[in-house]
Formats: sequence, C-alpha cells, structure tokens
Amino acid sequence: MIEARHLTKRYSKTVAVDDLSFQVQAGQVTGFLGPNGSGKSTTMRMIMGLDRPTSGSATINGEQYANLRFPLRVVGASLDAGALHPSRSARNHLEWIADSNRIPRQRVDDVLGQVGLYEVGHRRAGELSLGMAQRLGIAAALLGDPTVLIFDEPINGLDPEGIIWVRRLLKSLANEGRTILVSSHLMTEMALTADHLVVIGRGKLLATGRVKDFIEQTSGHHVHLVSPDASKLGPLLEQHGATVTPATDGSLDVAGMDAANVGIVASGAGLTLYELGTTQASLEDAFLELTRDHTEFRVGETAKVTT
Amino acid sequence: MSTLVTPRADVVVWQPSWRTVFRATVSSEWIKIRSVKSTMWTLAFGAASTLGFGVLLTALEVSRWTRRSVLEVTGFDPMLYSFAGLNVAQLAFGVLGVLVMTSEYSSKTIRMTFAATPQRRLVLMAKVSTFSALIGVVSIVMCITTFFICQAILASKGAGLSIGQSGVALAVIGGAVHLMLVGIIAVGLGAAMRRTAGAIAVLFTVLLIVPGLVSLLPSPWNDDITRYLPNSAGAAMSAVVRFPNLLSPWAGFGVLALYALAMLLFASVVLVRSDA
Repeated sequence: MIEARHLTKRYSKTVAVDDLSFQVQAGQVTGFLGPNGSGKSTTMRMIMGLDRPTSGSATINGEQYANLRFPLRVVGASLDAGALHPSRSARNHLEWIADSNRIPRQRVDDVLGQVGLYEVGHRRAGELSLGMAQRLGIAAALLGDPTVLIFDEPINGLDPEGIIWVRRLLKSLANEGRTILVSSHLMTEMALTADHLVVIGRGKLLATGRVKDFIEQTSGHHVHLVSPDASKLGPLLEQHGATVTPATDGSLDVAGMDAANVGIVASGAGLTLYELGTTQASLEDAFLELTRDHTEFRVGETAKVTT
Repeated sequence: MSTLVTPRADVVVWQPSWRTVFRATVSSEWIKIRSVKSTMWTLAFGAASTLGFGVLLTALEVSRWTRRSVLEVTGFDPMLYSFAGLNVAQLAFGVLGVLVMTSEYSSKTIRMTFAATPQRRLVLMAKVSTFSALIGVVSIVMCITTFFICQAILASKGAGLSIGQSGVALAVIGGAVHLMLVGIIAVGLGAAMRRTAGAIAVLFTVLLIVPGLVSLLPSPWNDDITRYLPNSAGAAMSAVVRFPNLLSPWAGFGVLALYALAMLLFASVVLVRSDA
C-alpha cells in the first residue's frame, strides 16, 4: 500500500503539490489522473524518495522509501522511459539495476522475455525506439518482483498493440495482489485500465474513488430522446423537475430524470417518442468538468486574449 | 466484473547489512563503468600519453645530454621526465571521473540509481571506490611500465634510477596515487556540479590555469602557494629531487588527500540536500 499524507512540494514561486493525501490499495490498478503539469510526476518522485517534500510524507507499506534497503525488491518504478545511458546496452542497463539490489541475474532474462525485448537486449539504449525504451523501463520495474509498482505515463510512445499489452499487464499484476499506481493524462486509457482513481489538478486532490462512482458523481447519467413533439415534451419534463437541453438535431438531452419516468410523462401526455435511451457520461466528461478550473492553460483563456 | 483478489501478504522484507548494500552497489557501479565504451578509450588514452610523453621527453633529454645548461644538470630529476605524461593522464582520468557522476544526471539514470539505493552517501562512496580502484590499477601498471622503459633509456647515460634506490619505489607508487586522488576529486566535483561542461571547466581551471596565474605572483608568494595547489601536491608525490616549489612526497599526499576529502564531503552534502 502507498500512502501520501499532506504531501506538499513548494518551489521558490510555485506550489507543485499542495497538501495531497491519498491511499493506493493493493489488488487493484489505481490511476493517477491530472492535466499536464498538475504535479503527478513530482508526487511520484516524492513517494520514491527522489524529491524531498516541503512538508508531509509518503510511505510504502508503512515505511518511508529512504529507509528501505534493497528497495527494488519491494517497489518497482518506471518514471521516465528516456532515462537510459545511450551507449549502454539494454541488458547491461538491467544488469546494473539487478546487481544494485542483489537480484539474481536470471531475472534479467526473465523480464527481457516478459516485455518482449529478449532479441534486442544487446542493442545500445540509444538505438531503441521510444516504445522499446518504455518496455525496458517496465522491465526494470519488474526486476525485483516487487509488491508495489509505480508507472509514470507508461503508454507514451507505445503502438496500439503495446498499449493493450500494458493494459493487460497492469490488470494481471493487480490481480496477483500487487499495488499499482499508474499516472496518465489520457482519460480514455484510465477508464479502460484503472479500477480506482486519484484525480489531481494544480497539485491539489480533486477526487478519489472507484472509476464508476467518479463518473456517476461528477456527471451522472443523461437521458437522450428523439420526439416529433419535442417542443411540447421539453417544457412538460421541466415541470416535472428535469433539466432539458435541446440538441442541435432536434433531440433532447434530459438530466435529473431516468428514462422510465420520461416515458411515463410522455405517454401520460399522449406524446410520441421515436427514441429513448440512457447515455453514460464518459470519464472524459467527468474529468473535464472536475478539472475545468484547475488546468494550467485553458483554450478559453487563450481565445480571450487573442480576440 | 471485478474479480476478488487476496492482497499479497506483505513479504517480510530482507534487511541486508550495510556491508551487503555497499558491495551490491559497488558491483552495480562496476557494470555501469565497464558497459560504456568511452571508459576504455579514456583509460587507453591516459595510459598511452603517460608512456608516450615519458619516452618522448626522456629520449629528447638524452639526445641533448651534453648540451644541457648547468641549471638543467643540477636540477635534473630522472622521474620528472619519465612521468611528464601524468599531467595529460590526470586530465583524461579527471574527465572520466567527472563523467561517472554527470553522465548519470544528463541521462537521468541518477533517479534509478537513487531509487535502487536511497542511501546517497553510500552511492557516492561506492562510485568513488569503484572508479578509484579501476584507475588505481591502470595507473600503477602504467607508472611501473613507464618507469622501467624511461630509466632504461637514461641508463645509456648512466643517469637511470633503479627501483631499489631510496624513495624511488615510493615515487612510482606516488605517481599512481596522484592520478587516483585527482580521479576522486573529479567524481566529487561531478556530484557537486551535475553538469559535465561546468565540472570539466572547473577541473581544467584548477589543474591548468590556476598554476599559471599563481606563478605570476611576486616571490615568495608564488612558490608558497604553488606548493599547495592540487597538481603540485600531486607532482611532489612522484618527485625524487627536492624542488623549492614542491612539498615532500608524503606532505604532497596529505595535501591532495585533504582536497579529495573536502571535495567528497561537499559533494555528499549537495547530494543529500538536493532533489534527484
């Protein structure tokens, strides 16, 4: 389990991480979601003992990272796929990491095979594609067979096949009972991969909980209907307490009332429905709604300046 | 849809002894050093320049043997010519020492290094030990080889030293220890500065430019200060004849070792305080 308690990182002028507290439980994939520059990587570095928090603390299985000896046997991390010495081979890269924590050399072969890099182990890191470097980073994280895994944007640079591979890998690692924290700014990816979410914006915690709950609480369901009597039905539904938004194609978007009740209201008034359905809001909608005021730069702001 | 999982019981974490952690880190550092081609090239360059300049300058001196001035004859140190190339080798090994640290920052592998071993002072000690052991071995082999070849050339004029003479073996070892200590200072400098270009600039300024500037000071300040500069302290370790601007071999060792120690202390404070 990873626990952050009031983590704060202040640089001379900016606050990168602001009083952030959350827990990452074992046995599930926890997505760490936030816009670019919201403090995800800084938080991960503080968890790993690489950056010193201005205040607050982070623990892994109840222990501060800096107090661990041979930490890679407990925690594996891939923070930056490009962090490789360009003239050192992929295999040598894994070997120095393995030796540093007395991890048997056999594991180097194991993880190279696991991430599909066995054939290119002799290649210099500078000759690897971004996707291969990303796989090598994941291999390094898996070396010590750790119970806690931390990945910063692991799918950057991967092809579709690689993305699916990472998704499956994360889920299977979680199913083995490991603690998985994976950051991303890609909401669609998190919706597919994560069970649990920690959402931050400008270094502050915005939400934490199950992905499903998060979407429901933030955006909720919408009822979508198409009717030739839309002009009568709209006001009628509003009288019953629903919020109605007419769409450009003449259909209606109804919030605050479920599909069954919309149907009852319509039939009670003798109005015809061609289509009636419920649309589940996407994680993307929920995320945008939540982070609207927390992104570093908004398109709207830029537009205002230029006009 | 969500499968029930039993969280892995947290395995009792093996708490290895510091000795074990240190040895593992040294082994890791050794892989890092030998798996980069530039290490081999730099060591070969250092070894070739030590031998090459030693032989070249000794041979030149022998060729003008009878035309030398009185001052040159009285102040002749057979070791000085043999080990002239150490001045080049110390720059080569110094650059390598800087790179041992700064290449980790430029490639960002330093984060993996500190993630693997959060005890940063221990990492620094492991890097210093590994690197100085490597250049120590290379340097001693290269100093002994150069010594015997150059003294054989001088022997033709009857001026060669033998390893058994008083202070000679110490001077040969001193030449190697000089390079080792410069290497250690360079590793510390790299750790403190992080940037390759900056650290190399400082190293070259101290080893090459400062001595020239100090020599321009009025006497006796010039000699008094020169004696305590890193390169003079290092040169004192391999001198057989006493020069006025050089310390004794042991004092030279002491001064250079103090520089190295101070550099490492400073570097370890910087390493622990700053974000990786």
